[in-house]
Amino acid sequence: MIKVETVKTYLDRCSKCGGCQAVCPLYGETMAEPLVARGKLFLIKNHIEGKLELSPKMKELMSLCLLCKACMENCPNKIPVDQLVLWARQKIAQEKGISFVKKNIFQHLLKNNGRLTIAARLGYFYQHSGLQWLVRKSRLLELFGDLAKKESLLPEMAKVPFRNQVPRLLPVSRPQKRVAYFTGCLTNFVFPDIGYAVINVLRNNGVEVVIPEQWCCGIPALASGDEETAVDLARKNVKVFQRENVDAIITDCASCGSTLKEYAELLETPEARSFAEKVLDFSQLLADVVGFQPGEEELSGLVVTYHDPCHLRRGMGISEAPRSLIKAVPGVTFKEMKESDRCCGAAGSFNLTYYELAVSIGRRKAKNVQDTGANVLLTACPSCIMQLRHVLQLEGSDVQVLHLAQLLDKTYSNAEKKS
Amino acid sequence: MLQSSVIEEIKRIVGKEHVYTSLEERICYGYDSTPEAFFPDLVVRPATTEEIQKIVKLANHHLFPIIPRGAGTGLSGGSVPVKGGVVLDLTRMNKILEIDEENLVAVVEPGVITYELQQEVEKRGLFYPPDPASLKTSTIGGNVAECAGGPRAFKYGVTRDYVLGLEVVTPTGELLKVGGKTVKSVTGYDLIRLYTGSEGTLGIITKIILRLLPKPEAKKTLMAVYPSLDDAAHTVTMIIKKGIIPATLELMDDLTIRCVENYLHMGLPLDAEAILIMEVDGPAELVEKQAVQVAELCRENGAREVKIAADEKDRDEIWRARRAVSAAVVQIKPTKISEDIAVPRSQIPKMVRRLKEIAARYDLNLVIFGHAGDGNLHPNILCDQNDAEEMERVRKAIAELFKAAVELGGTLTGEHGIGTMKAPYLKYETGDVGYQVMKAIKKALDPNNILNPGKIFLE
Repeated sequence: MIKVETVKTYLDRCSKCGGCQAVCPLYGETMAEPLVARGKLFLIKNHIEGKLELSPKMKELMSLCLLCKACMENCPNKIPVDQLVLWARQKIAQEKGISFVKKNIFQHLLKNNGRLTIAARLGYFYQHSGLQWLVRKSRLLELFGDLAKKESLLPEMAKVPFRNQVPRLLPVSRPQKRVAYFTGCLTNFVFPDIGYAVINVLRNNGVEVVIPEQWCCGIPALASGDEETAVDLARKNVKVFQRENVDAIITDCASCGSTLKEYAELLETPEARSFAEKVLDFSQLLADVVGFQPGEEELSGLVVTYHDPCHLRRGMGISEAPRSLIKAVPGVTFKEMKESDRCCGAAGSFNLTYYELAVSIGRRKAKNVQDTGANVLLTACPSCIMQLRHVLQLEGSDVQVLHLAQLLDKTYSNAEKKS
Repeated sequence: MLQSSVIEEIKRIVGKEHVYTSLEERICYGYDSTPEAFFPDLVVRPATTEEIQKIVKLANHHLFPIIPRGAGTGLSGGSVPVKGGVVLDLTRMNKILEIDEENLVAVVEPGVITYELQQEVEKRGLFYPPDPASLKTSTIGGNVAECAGGPRAFKYGVTRDYVLGLEVVTPTGELLKVGGKTVKSVTGYDLIRLYTGSEGTLGIITKIILRLLPKPEAKKTLMAVYPSLDDAAHTVTMIIKKGIIPATLELMDDLTIRCVENYLHMGLPLDAEAILIMEVDGPAELVEKQAVQVAELCRENGAREVKIAADEKDRDEIWRARRAVSAAVVQIKPTKISEDIAVPRSQIPKMVRRLKEIAARYDLNLVIFGHAGDGNLHPNILCDQNDAEEMERVRKAIAELFKAAVELGGTLTGEHGIGTMKAPYLKYETGDVGYQVMKAIKKALDPNNILNPGKIFLE
């Protein structure tokens, strides 16, 4: 947690120019000053000066931030707004506690892979036993406000988590690099297809992959102000990955990737620093380290556009690598969309808490996607994929949403045909 | 404080979701882009002119202040609720109602963002020239209320030169319509000019008819570096004498250059006294020719280095220096007091010297940049608002810089407005008679002093 003195110096740098209004997705939908960075910083400043309590309203306003970093990129004084919002959330969590549900999820599920797997299986059971059908048919959830809509956001769970499906080591003959794969929770529990695609692309490019036991990266806890849980998870991950003799630690998830990068500041240990230095996004490894070679399969008729995940572009500073990979695939037409780096509205669990707002942000993205005429939308974050599929479906669009790895995978004759 | 029955009535008028009552939400509508901050009793976000009329009538009945507000990016304290009351946030009224390509006019609601209007009209080959620095966030309503300017003002004028008609809710809640889609109109008093720049004190603007131009075919950007400020100023005069009217003529002084260079490390000369950034626009052929002429004039008049942007990338690089000014200067100290005096163009060198003397006398960090074509300078004092002693020196220096501007035949404010920040100095320029005339107008139109009290005049 950054110190209050540091927070104060950052707050002093805000000239209240309001430039953040131009890029804040929440302000774009609501034009509400308390939701834009300038408003939030002013609220935090007033709290520090003793003029505002950490009231429920304050908690609500601080939770209304996508942490998309667009304001920071646009800020003439480069104020790290997300750190300040997180500081406030953490202070609120410490002084007022976090919600019962979140507390249980963070402290009892995220820290325990066995329980997390059971929860995912229960999810699978709910979706496949007919229970979900029954619940939807009965319209039971409509009794709870927009719970029915939120339920429709829930992705279909994998029957068996990805890491339980694949061996720990995936060797190649004469590897040019050896990497440890941090699969993230979404690939593990929801999108095993992405995991298979990542592995297959890497192996076709001479990269040996090892998948150690691992825990949630901690971003859900961090975003809710529960630094304690995040620190605990970070320690566990660093300890396990440290044992692997690898050139890099790779992720297929922008949110995980940017969080793993932050382990250095979170733990402040030499081990965490060397861990963080090794973290690369899947696209970065392929484009910048390995030198991606597509396979022989002809892809034709694919018109592709790309959505920049906030945590990849602004979190990890990666925007060229995914594009260069897409352009390296023969037969694919790439079309840049308008506002490709504007948040899709997923923002972790933001779309569950503020469904309507998240959907209106997402619809703008869906429109920009559709305006390109593309038939495939690529991105590099499973959380974005969930949201993008949901909003495109709401718009009645048949654009297919895939992870970048899944497109690259299609070029190999041994491509993962599971999807 | 507002009675709860009044709050209930307002909620009935606009819908309760468009009324902010919480401390946390209200505090976010108490500031603008100045260091000023106050505290409204209520924030109301109406969607129609009728709703506004009802609220204004209610205010006259219960006698509470109303402060109209756009994006809150003003630089004079124009939208801050000095005396509490109801902040009337007009950002929900953000529709472009019509773009009439035949008559070259646009009809818009006040909450339309300036840049969005520009984008829309440019798609149709048209042009809305006023370009305040905040154009990506500021609203047309706010631009009209403050009569915003911008770098293009020397060639294209300021907001008032584009307002053809207005719909205004008067301080007593009546609906006033003035002007229309014609370029010419002399029917009675020129109320459009009265309302443009009235800072929300004489009415709430609810609809605006704006004049548009055909979009210039091409533009060309140049940058010239001068060892002497006088030479830079003289060049501007020579360019105009030659019959060339650049769209922009931006000036940066020595300290500004040093701040930007320290911030960006883009290779600006640290010993230069001034940099001019110039843009010529118009038909492509003419623009090419004029750019070369301007470059020659710069060299003939003492520029050490002249660059003509060959492409969009070069152009961005040149503007990068100017755009970085705000961020670069606050590296000196966090609080930026941004003034916007204007003097006749020929007086720029004298004004700059006076400003530097004042800064030295009060031991303050002062950078100067601005619009050399129209004499509108932005002396910015960098200070620390937590340092009371320094802020006292700032106050004294500001009073002197206003006096200097008026003495040189200039004005207190070229494009920011008086608001609260310059209210103490109003009479320097208007004199007693000017002051009394303005007050009489305010009194006649707003007998209960409902709209934006505490602005322009010291009360």
